[in-house]
Amino acid sequence: MPLVRITLCFLCVLCCLVSACSSSVNSADANKIKVGIVFDIGGKDDRSFNSAANQGVLRAKKELPIVLRDAEPGDATSLEPAMRAFAQYGYNLIIGVGFAQAPILEQVAKDYPNTHFAIVDGVCDSPNVASLLFKEHQGSFLVGMIAASTSKTNTIGFVGGMDIPLIRKFLKGYEEGARYVNPSIRVIPNFIGITDAAWNNPSQGKELATAQIQQGADVLFQAAGNSGLGVFDAAESMKKFAIGVDSNQNYVKPGTILTSMTKRIDNAVFAVVKEEVEGKFKGGVHVYGLENDGVGYAMDEYNKHLIAQAIIDKVEIAKKKIIAGEIKVTDVMAK
Amino acid sequence: MLRNIFNFTLIASTLRLATPLILAALGGLYCERSGVINIALEGIMLAGAFTAALITFYTQNPWIGILAAVTAGVLVAAIHAVATINFRANQVVSGTAINILFLGVPALLCGVFFGTTGNTPQLPREQTLNDWQVFNPQESPLLASIFNQNPLVYFALLAVLLTFFVIYKMRFGLRLRAVGENPEAADTAGISVNRMRYAGVLLSGAFAALGGAYISIGQNSLFTRNMTAGRGFIALAALIFGKWDPLGTMIACLLFGFAEAIAIRMQGTVNIPNQFIQIVPYVLTIVVLAGFISRAHPPKALGIAYTKE
Repeated sequence: MPLVRITLCFLCVLCCLVSACSSSVNSADANKIKVGIVFDIGGKDDRSFNSAANQGVLRAKKELPIVLRDAEPGDATSLEPAMRAFAQYGYNLIIGVGFAQAPILEQVAKDYPNTHFAIVDGVCDSPNVASLLFKEHQGSFLVGMIAASTSKTNTIGFVGGMDIPLIRKFLKGYEEGARYVNPSIRVIPNFIGITDAAWNNPSQGKELATAQIQQGADVLFQAAGNSGLGVFDAAESMKKFAIGVDSNQNYVKPGTILTSMTKRIDNAVFAVVKEEVEGKFKGGVHVYGLENDGVGYAMDEYNKHLIAQAIIDKVEIAKKKIIAGEIKVTDVMAK
Repeated sequence: MLRNIFNFTLIASTLRLATPLILAALGGLYCERSGVINIALEGIMLAGAFTAALITFYTQNPWIGILAAVTAGVLVAAIHAVATINFRANQVVSGTAINILFLGVPALLCGVFFGTTGNTPQLPREQTLNDWQVFNPQESPLLASIFNQNPLVYFALLAVLLTFFVIYKMRFGLRLRAVGENPEAADTAGISVNRMRYAGVLLSGAFAALGGAYISIGQNSLFTRNMTAGRGFIALAALIFGKWDPLGTMIACLLFGFAEAIAIRMQGTVNIPNQFIQIVPYVLTIVVLAGFISRAHPPKALGIAYTKE
């Protein structure tokens, strides 16, 4: 009797697997370029970092002849199997999103030297990997200027997700931008946590933001994935300003979100897919900064009434100076 | 510097952070007092958090969302009840299965309803459960901030008193405890062991789901994947730490909340690396557990399925 049950269960699972596999490749797609993307823990709907990457591949899918599949590993241990599965099934280009995937991608890329890879926010040395890096410190400098110019309390906050050098890079740029406008401004920096769960804890984001506001902060910049949505909630209910990150988040809470530090992962990802389709894939480090609109700050119909033109003019001048090298923004990750 | 850490806002923050723990731990209390281990609190909280956000999104009424969350919690707890009471499955295994199941189910349903993989759309502020100012002393805005809390915060504190009364003063509580301590004797006295255990497990579903709903539509305005971030397990620890007693459990939850609130305020105020600050709640727990409480005695029949002779 138990044997029958076990066999039945086994058969059920097998059926599911077979039906899942058979639907994944159909013949019309056989000679298209196959692109696989592995998202970070936050998942592609974080309205921020992963969403930006997702926008890029979705645009590529619409405009280019590719087959697109994605994987959203729920935890760090599923990143590698997801990536290897794509490589095994003969995908032409595999994109890893997030710094945490760099060491894994390094390994997988060595095992599949004929497959092309791209990594967002990380560096791998293999010639078949394109490393997509951003000058987040430059974009953060500009939103830091906007924050300091807007603050009435002379105090601004920063809520980072996981406490890692990459997020410290945002913080440093933000602080320098704020001090550039107002040398005496107080910046309160907080981090959600020290594990990857920090990207998915909006309650903690709200609590940290509330504590910052109670200490006098009236503009809060968040770089915390899903946890940042809690920062927006706190700012909205206490009638302060928040600054979005990675994607243009101005629409999430109109009137509360002052601007967003955009990191055009979408453009970078789209460009690498396009190169792959055109047979021009190039390995190595690709850097996106202010000079090629890889980072910036978002202005649209949701926030244009929140920031005075005089402030924007000042920020635009600083932007030109940074590009020209007249203002040096510290990159804490530079060796 | 110390004034930045220790002030009235710390009390308000402690209450906010302790509320989901108190609700879930009270749920665990009803369940475990009846003799059924409930490791599934985390999964039930997630189910409650998701259902609350989903139903509030469609009805635009957080109270209907809360009601739906409680219903969902009871249904999920019913899985645990059927498995452990009727089929006498191992209680830890059943609970773990529920936890794993509800890491996945909300993400799947988000796909069905919203085409996303784990996030619900953000609710406008007026559709979430907003704070109630119950007492407003004009002369002290800080004091007023303590009395401006989410309705579920007040409910959690009331529920502690209510649970104390139910467990120690009412016939239902006496029977629940009897079933958890000595099911054979209770059975002989004519109490239906299974029925009492069902009541305990289903109540735990209702309370844990409320805790989840507080996180999604009370503190926040949406559901994100795995947003309870282990609070169900901390609630379970608080229950043990509080020796399965309503007041003790509440104090344990408040202690956890307090430690977390302190850690939040220490960040950026004190010059200590974050990694150390963030272990403060856990270190405090170990110190208190090791130093201040005597041996905890769980209900004697906890974890043992009852078979009628």
